[in-house]
Amino acid sequence: MRLGLAIDLDTCVGCHACAVACKEWNGQSLMGGAPDYDAWGKAPSGAWYNRIRHYEIEGDPTYSPYRCGSSSDASEHQPLSKTVNVPMSCMHCEEAHCVTVCPTGASYKRAEDGIVLVDPSRCMGCNYCSWACPYGARELDEDVGVMKKCTLCVDRIYDEQLAVEDRQPACVLACPTHARHFGDYDDPQSKVSLLAESRGKQSMLDDLGYKPTNAYLSPRKPVEIKAELPIRAGLSDKAKAFVNRLIQL
Amino acid sequence: MKPALSVIFFTVSSGAGLGLLVWLLIASLMADHIRMDGATFYKGVVIAALMITAGLLSSTLHLANRKNAIFSLVRVKTSWLSREGLLALILYPLAALHLAALHFGWPHITPFTLWLLVADAIAILYCTGMIYACLRTIPRWNTWMTPAKYVLFGLMSGSVLLPAALSLRPAEVGPIGKPMVAIVLLAVGVVFYIAYLLKHPRAQHTINDALGFKRGNVRLLDVGHSHGTFLTNEFGFVLAREKARMLRWLAIVFGFIVPMLLCYFTQWFWSASFICIAGLLVERWLFFAEAEHVVRLYHGQQRV
Ligand code: SF4
Ligand code: SF4
Repeated sequence: MRLGLAIDLDTCVGCHACAVACKEWNGQSLMGGAPDYDAWGKAPSGAWYNRIRHYEIEGDPTYSPYRCGSSSDASEHQPLSKTVNVPMSCMHCEEAHCVTVCPTGASYKRAEDGIVLVDPSRCMGCNYCSWACPYGARELDEDVGVMKKCTLCVDRIYDEQLAVEDRQPACVLACPTHARHFGDYDDPQSKVSLLAESRGKQSMLDDLGYKPTNAYLSPRKPVEIKAELPIRAGLSDKAKAFVNRLIQL
Repeated sequence: MKPALSVIFFTVSSGAGLGLLVWLLIASLMADHIRMDGATFYKGVVIAALMITAGLLSSTLHLANRKNAIFSLVRVKTSWLSREGLLALILYPLAALHLAALHFGWPHITPFTLWLLVADAIAILYCTGMIYACLRTIPRWNTWMTPAKYVLFGLMSGSVLLPAALSLRPAEVGPIGKPMVAIVLLAVGVVFYIAYLLKHPRAQHTINDALGFKRGNVRLLDVGHSHGTFLTNEFGFVLAREKARMLRWLAIVFGFIVPMLLCYFTQWFWSASFICIAGLLVERWLFFAEAEHVVRLYHGQQRV
């Protein structure tokens, strides 16, 4: 098995619900413990297994046929623009260099399902693995001096006391737009494999050779809405065109 | 990268100690020629041992969970950090064996222990360099020049310490000749350092590669956290260009040029050693402070 996530960059609205659900679940779990520091103070911080960042892609016609600004001032000079929200957690890489550099053997990749974990009873908190991770997936738990990271909710997904549909990572269950999917990439018929196949995935620092398991589904090209009136327009066409023009004001 | 003082001190101090050990052992092969008596040799070994041990102890200071450091030798197969630790631990019994052989006069094993010690010391320096050089995530370090630098600078600072240690011999032996090894290594060192500054890999990855949007401009709108995180603390260190330039010159002048002049024109070998080590501390600080991790791309930096 090669378990991992498929994260849809098209539908993610950047609400941080997955990160909050992750904190909530892992805050008390067996291998978890993602502490907060100064949570109600002036400079709140803490360890997160999942962080969402927001970017603007400017001038790439593949994903953004629309120009900045309202349609009235949209001209050739306005750059094409699109906002993407990118949640990032451990990719459970196939070539997990974070594991090979770990001197204590605390970091390991499970042969049976490919999940990368840290054994807190062996980790000496040297931070070396976090240096080896390109994706910023590892954060030190300063309270206990041990490296922490996404466990793919290993303590949920095999729990037979949970209903079958609940045996998924907390972030996947929490996502209000269903932008997160969980499954086995070794099974070509699994939901995540099919999604990655049909939607295409982003290559993220692939030249470093870590072979991340998680897939970031590329945004779809939006359908362009034409605001002009059709030639022989009926009443409903006129109404549609009117609404479209309103939207683009 | 955050320049962690404990690691900077460790690499410089242990490096110089290992270099001194190597040169002391080689010098002991021609002890008569350079008029090094037994007591001076042992004094030198004590200085080297102190520097190596102080460095190793300091390197454990940056561990967040020191009690698990006992496990740190188990991944010799894959981890350069493990390899370094193991070789460093082997150094002590090996040195004890060599000293015992010298003391009790077992001439048939001293050549073995001597060259094993030399090889082990150089291997430790190489491993330290590889700890950094093996990280593909930090392009500036990911080059053969990193381990070469660690080995060269270790042997170099050790060669400056050697005449200093020799100066501990009884006064009646007379002055020490020009330490040509040190002078040559300092010259090689400065050429190598300048070559490294000019030729190290740089700006190989862009924010476009990081997110997979190959066309167009990608820029960060919001980083998603309101205050510092582990990632910004560990990888977010920013060094002002002007300051970096000044520190580079400081490293060149104090790490190499001044010790070279002192070794050539004077007998102030202790001053030369201290100045060289101070310069190397600046160099090592820069080594960390100037290195950029690719995770900075996700925090909005355009190129790493
Ligand atoms: S994303 Fe980072 S922590 Fe996770 S497996 Fe890959 S290298 Fe390791
Ligand atoms: S911080 Fe812990 S898990 Fe990471 S490399 Fe060090 S010992 Fe291994």
